[in-house]
Order: sequence, then structure tokens, then C-alpha cells
Amino acid sequence: MKQLKGWPGWVLLVMVVAGLLAFGTTRDAGARTPEERVEEISKQLACPVCDGESVYESRNTQSASIRTEIKAQATTTDATDDEIIAYIVQNFDARTQLVPKATGFESLVWVLPSASFVCAAVGLFFVFRRWRLAADLVPTDDDRVLVEAELKADP
Amino acid sequence: MLAEGLNGVLGHSALIIGFAASLFGAMALASATVLKNPRLLRTVQAYGTLALVSAVVAVIVMERALITRDWSLSYVQKVGSNNTPTLYNVTALWSALEGSILLWLLLLAIYSYVIMRRYRKRLADPLVAWALVVMFLVSAFFFFLALGPTDAFLAAAPPDFMRCCRGPNPLLQNHVLVLFHPPILYLGFVGFTVPFAFAIAALITGRVGEGWLVETRRWALFAWGFLTLGILLGGWWSYEVLGWGGVWAWDPVENASLLPWLTGTAYIHSVMVQERRGMLRVWNLSLLVATFSLTILGTFLTRSGVINSVHAFSDGEIGPYLLGAFGVIVAVSLALIAWRGDQLRSPGAIDSAASREGAFLANNAVFTLFAFVVLLGTVFPLIVEAKDDRKIAVGSPFFDTMARPIGLVLLFLMAVAPALPWRKASGELLRDRLFWPAWCGAGTLALSVLLGGDGFAPLLAFGLAGFAAGAAVRQLVLATRRQGVRGLVGRTNGGMIVHLGVILVAVALAASNSYTRAGEFTVAKGETVSFAGHTFTLIDIDEFTTSRSVGIRAQVSIDGGQAYAPAISKYTAFGIDVATPSVRSGFANDIYLTLEAGSQPSSGVAKLKIFIKPMVLWMWVGGGLMGFGTLLAAFPGRHRRKPTDPVSAPINLTSEDVAHV
Amino acid sequence: MSDEISRRRIAPIVVLVVAAVLGGLFWVLAGSEAENDTSGVINSHLLGRTAPSVRSTTLDDESFDLARRKGSWVVLNFFNSTCVPCIAEHPELVAFAEQQAALGPGGAELYTILQFGDRIDSVRAFFDERDGDWPVVRDDDGGINVSFGVAQVPETFIIDPDGVVRLRWAGPIDAETLATLVQQQRDAYAPR
Repeated sequence: MKQLKGWPGWVLLVMVVAGLLAFGTTRDAGARTPEERVEEISKQLACPVCDGESVYESRNTQSASIRTEIKAQATTTDATDDEIIAYIVQNFDARTQLVPKATGFESLVWVLPSASFVCAAVGLFFVFRRWRLAADLVPTDDDRVLVEAELKADP
Repeated sequence: MLAEGLNGVLGHSALIIGFAASLFGAMALASATVLKNPRLLRTVQAYGTLALVSAVVAVIVMERALITRDWSLSYVQKVGSNNTPTLYNVTALWSALEGSILLWLLLLAIYSYVIMRRYRKRLADPLVAWALVVMFLVSAFFFFLALGPTDAFLAAAPPDFMRCCRGPNPLLQNHVLVLFHPPILYLGFVGFTVPFAFAIAALITGRVGEGWLVETRRWALFAWGFLTLGILLGGWWSYEVLGWGGVWAWDPVENASLLPWLTGTAYIHSVMVQERRGMLRVWNLSLLVATFSLTILGTFLTRSGVINSVHAFSDGEIGPYLLGAFGVIVAVSLALIAWRGDQLRSPGAIDSAASREGAFLANNAVFTLFAFVVLLGTVFPLIVEAKDDRKIAVGSPFFDTMARPIGLVLLFLMAVAPALPWRKASGELLRDRLFWPAWCGAGTLALSVLLGGDGFAPLLAFGLAGFAAGAAVRQLVLATRRQGVRGLVGRTNGGMIVHLGVILVAVALAASNSYTRAGEFTVAKGETVSFAGHTFTLIDIDEFTTSRSVGIRAQVSIDGGQAYAPAISKYTAFGIDVATPSVRSGFANDIYLTLEAGSQPSSGVAKLKIFIKPMVLWMWVGGGLMGFGTLLAAFPGRHRRKPTDPVSAPINLTSEDVAHV
Repeated sequence: MSDEISRRRIAPIVVLVVAAVLGGLFWVLAGSEAENDTSGVINSHLLGRTAPSVRSTTLDDESFDLARRKGSWVVLNFFNSTCVPCIAEHPELVAFAEQQAALGPGGAELYTILQFGDRIDSVRAFFDERDGDWPVVRDDDGGINVSFGVAQVPETFIIDPDGVVRLRWAGPIDAETLATLVQQQRDAYAPR
């Protein structure tokens, strides 16, 4: 048991986990059904008249119309997801797009969190390193003399 | 000048008295402390009691006005109607802006009173005095709001029933959770005022050591528990009522409730490092300040109308005042931290990253990052509008993408931290302690793959969840072996039970977000469709009319068994459609039925949307476990310290303890 | 050893950074305005462009094709029988229809377009109870609403004899305003 808890057991564990993950990730769940496609697209669009709900969530009549339209385009035309989204966004207004673009000023909403994460990780790394170096100090001879003197005085 | 009715006069008087009492209470206490004149303290208790009584009277008067349908008050015209059922009429108190401020005020007055009574013998202590001054000042601010910008007792012209008196928003009058979710959530929000007050007092007096810490932790835990419960109830309510089958939509108001929860959670963990090793003191103070500031900011976002949300009460002039309060709170707190912060920092250092302190510090960083991301996404539309003068929306896709990796990191920390010792861990120690939890994680992963799970993120989440559950159970087993039943009680052990609840919620979210299947069907009466291994038969579809709505209801039998009745109603006074989904809950999955627009009862045709949502029940079970664990965590553990004990007192280990360490 | 670790004054620096960020947030929030309900003449991506194809049936089971209405001014009103402002707007539309009919062949033609999921029997009952004998067009899959980008009913569109969309009005409208707007469009119209 002791040996198992050592390196061999852990290497085995990592291999098992990696294998399971690889198997599960590459497993084919089948092509997207039309419903799934409509769901994915409608989650990226905001309902034109609600307050911030997505077309997927909203029970509003217009959202239902938009979902029907998405389904019609998805099943009868060969438009891609992006083309369908562009059509809806063009018809309503730009506020309909729920996902901020990855270019221009809007990309800040993606960039700032990632940058903060990197800063935080780097900051933590340096802080820990400084503390570890401080903790790794070796006692000097003066320290040894001091300790010996104290021990002699009070055994 | 509109004549005020009795209720209006009573309400206004109560609020004016309350405002004066809170203000004078703060002034008396502050002068007593600064001038070191204990005689001024005698009046403080009277002021505190008066403030409480005023708030209670104001709320009672408003409820009475609602119940008797006193149309002379503009608020009653706003949320009352002649045919709202009693329950929803009573809860209409908090269904719109002015009344919700009254509820906030009531809870704040209650908290202030309890603090005053509990510490009445220690009012001469500057720490306690300043904390109570802060509470009185915050109360005075809310009394002012209730008197001025959001006057709940504003007199109104005689009612024009064509335009007014339609009742509360339909979403707030069709489910009993409206009675529970807002008050419980507010108990959490308002509750964080108490630890914040103590944090300010600690900064002013420069005393972050003995006493205040243990007290503050209990209050913070109390508030956090209610906030957690409130958020979960909100999710449950969304699920039951909104009809799209989800529990969380990253709506700005939902985010406003999540932000203080995130920093509050970081605090209740990080404070353990301060209790044990006297470190991370300024972090803890900052987290408390952040939590309270975020509750005020969240209130501003919800109520000012600058951000669109289905939840928002966006029709008052309260925005500038709340924003001003936020500014003042942040400015004062930052100034105090800049002044005192370096003096209060602990001289100690964290020895190693692989230690419990290191894990808690990483925890602080991750939660702070999470809060930053959520705040950024919520206010980003405003930033873009300020710069480019165009409107964009930031919705679930952004938040889900950001939350996923952060959630995985948090699961990993949950797995590793309970096994990490304080100060420093060696590789061998970690390999030993984490062995069984890690295999637990591998087992969970194997089980998920076996049950058909796919996708990297959900599978990784399941594996890490198993890992974290293993670590929590290991801790509980060790504690109960050592202490019997008492091993389930106390900070660490109660915390492990809360972690188990969180893990259940995380697994349920991962499963239902990734593996929900949905199908839309147009079914005629008597027809059966099959989907995902179940059969659905439309038994009947008919119309129904209530005094407030007209609706369509379908009776659907699942697998030939009991009939479920999804409905969709239009509340005629508002023109709003409210879906009433019908859910068959099960351990493995929920079958969630909604009736869609386009159903025609006259021709017996129903448009059904069917969701198969895996493991949603586990979310509510996990929530219950979190609540239960919080109760257990509030109990004193074995090594209870008196408030006056120094922070890093040595723990008397028995030889048995040494053998297990 | 611990004496040598100097107590660096990092608190003011951190506070300054946080204050700067929060100051920016404060400035943004202070400058934001609450959104008001937009009503009146609003923008549409269709202005100045040919109207989308509208082919459907009316309540009386006759076919309707917008393209065949070229040569006359067309007013499209998007309507839902349960929408309170639409119900309030209805008498105004009746007055408008009568007034345009009195203008003879140059008068605008009024058509109502329904919404997806509106109960047909409710709509029939509505029009039976109140006056209004202009064609009511069904939109059973919501496609017409989506192609016009209708957000919240009622909305009204004015289309010129060439089939080009000229104006979009959000919210309820009264007969006088609508007649004036149509007349303004007539005056500004130059045949292609």
C-alpha cells in the first residue's frame, strides 16, 4: 500500500485519467440536431424587446418568431450559424448580438480578464518565491552563538 | 397639494423619526467615543430602539395600506389591485422599488438593534462604538432614501383604474417563492453591513487582532448563509417559472447578487488564515469592504435603470443617491486602508505555496478575479456606450466562457486544500493524503464516461468534483474517527459538508448545461410522441380564465402515467405572457414541459417543448446540504477560543492528535 | 530576521490602482442614463430599400402579396389582439382608414399584420366587435415580423408605390399623425 501511494500509484492514476479524458472527449456524440443548432444560435442573440434575455430564454412572441425563423433557415437553407446570426442582427439592431466581438474596443471584455488572470498568477508566483526565499535563510554563526548561550543558561 | 391619508401621515412620521433617531444615534455615539465621554452613551440605546420601532411601524403601515387597498398612496396604486390574491398582495410590499427599500430598511434596523443590544455593555469600547456608528449612518441613509427619492408613502391623485392599480408584475404573482426569495436574499445583503461596520471600526481604531475577528466571522457566516440560500431560491424560482428550463441567466440583477457572494465566500475562507496564523489581515478587511460596496453597487445597478434586466426596478430617481453612497463608501474605505493598511499587515510570511495558507491566498485571488470578470461583463455595455455611443449586450455566452475555467480551478482548490497542512507540505505528505481522493476522482470520471458523458470540460468537471468530494469525505472521516459526532461540527467539518453541497451543485450545473436535450413537438389531442426514451401523450388542451389572466393549459401524460399540466397565461392588465412549466423531477433527470405560443385549444393542437435535464434535483439537494453545513459550521468546534485569547494561541495536542498529524 | 524585512508601503499603491479603476467605473455609471421607451419615428434597416416579400393569407382566406400592391401607398400595421396599446390604437386606425378611403384612388391602403401565435378566433372576434374592414394578414411562422425587424407591437410602416419602405413608427399612433406622415411622404415622393 505504501508503495502504491508513492510514485507508481500516481503515475498509474495520471495515465488512467488521461486515457478516460481522451476517450470521452473524442467520443462522437452524433451530429447536431436542428433543435440543438437553433438552441446554440438563439443563445447568442438577445430578445429585441425584453430586458437582456436571450432569444433562447425569452417566451416573448417575437422571440418565438425569431426561433421559428432560425429553425426554418437552419433546416431549409445551407446558411451557416454566423450567416443566420448576421441576418437576425441586421433586421433588428446591433444590440441583438449577445456575444461581444473579438475585435476593436469590444475585445477588451475578453482581454482584460485574461490579462488579469496572467497578472494574478505571475504576482502570486513572485510573492510565493519571495516568501520562500525569505524562509530558506540559513542561520548565521552569530545566530548559533546566541542559541548556544541561551541553552547553556537555561537547560 | 394632494391630501395625505392616515397611512401616508403615519408612514412619513415613522420614517422621519427613524431618520432622526439613526442620525442622532450616530452623532451621540461618535461624540462619546471621540470626546471619551461615556455619559453620552446612555442615549444611544434609546435612539437605536426608536429607529427599530420606526422601521417596523413604517412596514406595518405599508402592509396595512396594501391589504386595505388604500389608493391614496401612490405605491399602492403601483403594485396593488383589487383582484390580487392576499398572499401576493402582502408580498407586493417588495415587488417594486419603494417597498423594497422599506424591506431593506427594516432588516437594517433589526440588525443594528441586535448589534446594539448584544454589545450594549461594551459601547465604551471604541471598536464596538465605531461599528455601531457605521450601522447607524447606513440606516440613516436608507431612511433618507425612503423619505426622499423613493418616497413609499407619496400621496397620489384619486385612482384612474384604466392606468393604475394593476397589481404587481405577473412574474411576481404566480409562485409562492416570491414570499421567500426576496426577504432571504435581503437578509444576506443587509447582513453584510455588520462585518463591514466592524471592518471600518477595526481600520479606524487600528485593532485587527483580538475579538473583532471571531465576532465578525459569525456575522459574516450568517449573512453569507442567507445570501447563498437566497441565490439558490432565485435559481429554483427561475426554473419553475420562466419556462426556458434554466436556473441562471447571468442577468445583471443576478450578477449583482453574485458579486457580494463571491467576495463574501473569499472572506469566510481567508479569515481562517487570520485566525490560525494572524495573516492576510488587510486582505480580509478589503474583502469585507468590497462585499458591502458591491451590495450597494448591485442595488444601484438594479434600481437606477442604467442596465436592462427583467428584474430591474428602473423607474426611480434613486440612481444618483446610490451611486453617491457607493462613491463615499469606497472613498472612505480606500482612504482608511491606505492610511492604516501597512501598519496592520502581519509581519509573518507564508512559507510555501503548497500549504493551506497558500491555497487560501490563491483562493482569494481566484474569487477576486471571478468577481472582477462578472462586474466587467455586467457594466461593459455601459462602458461601450460611454465611449462609442452605441449599445451592445453582453450575455450568457461571455459569462459561461469565463466561468468555466474559473469553476474548474475552484474545484481543484476544493480538492487539494483540505489535505494541505498549515505552513508547509512535502510532496510525500501530499501524495499520501490525496491518494484516495484522487482515485475517487478517477472513479467518478470513469463512471461519467460509462454513462455516456462526452466533452472535455464536463468530464474534467466531473473528475475534479469526485476528487474534491473525496477530499471532503476524507476530512470528515478523520474528524469523526477522532471526535465522534462532534467531528461533523465546527468550522472545518461544517465547511466540508458545505463543500459537498457545492460539489453537488457544480456537478448538476455541468451536467444540465452540457447534456440537456430539448425537442419541440406539435401534438394533437390524443396523439403520442416519443422523445429521449419517453412517450408523451396529449390528453387534453383547454382554456382557463382567472380574474387576472387568460390562459391555455395542456394535460400531458408521461409514459402513460400521471398527467402533467404545463400552461401559458396572458395577464391581461399587462399584456405579458407567463409560462407555467410542469416538471417531473427524478433522481437522474427532470422532464420539463412547457406550452409554447402557437397552441390552439380550439383545434386541440398543442405546441409542446420538452426538455430532458439531467441531475437538476441534485442542485437543490446540494443547496440544502450547503445550508445544513453552514449551520454546522456556525457551531463552535473543539478548540473554541474566547474572544480575548490571542490569535495564535498554541493548541494543546494530545499524543493521539500527534499520531494523526 | 523579521526586522530586516522592511514594511514596504504597498498599501497606498494598491489603493491608488483600485481607486483609479473604480473612479473610471464611477464616471461611466454617472454618465449613463436610464433608457426610455422609444416611440415615434425610429430607424429601420429597411428605410430607403425595397420592402421584404410578404406573401400570406388574410383572415378571409384570400391570398395577399405585398408586391402586387405596387402603385399605391401601403401602410402596414403590426398588431396583436392581446396587446393593450394595440387595442387602444384601433379606433385611430379605423378613423385613418375612413379618411384615406375618402381620398379616392390616391389614398393609402391599410393592412394589419398579425403576430406569430396570436389566436385567430380572438382576432376575428376583435375585428367583428369593433369596426375595421381592411385586410388582416396572418403571419403564422412569424417570418414577416422578423423580416421587418418588428420589436414591440404596435409598429407601423409606410411603403411607397415603388415598394420602398419610407418610414417606421414604433408605438401606438393616432389618425391625425399617421395621415400627416403619409401626406409628407407623398409630397416628398418622386416616382422612379
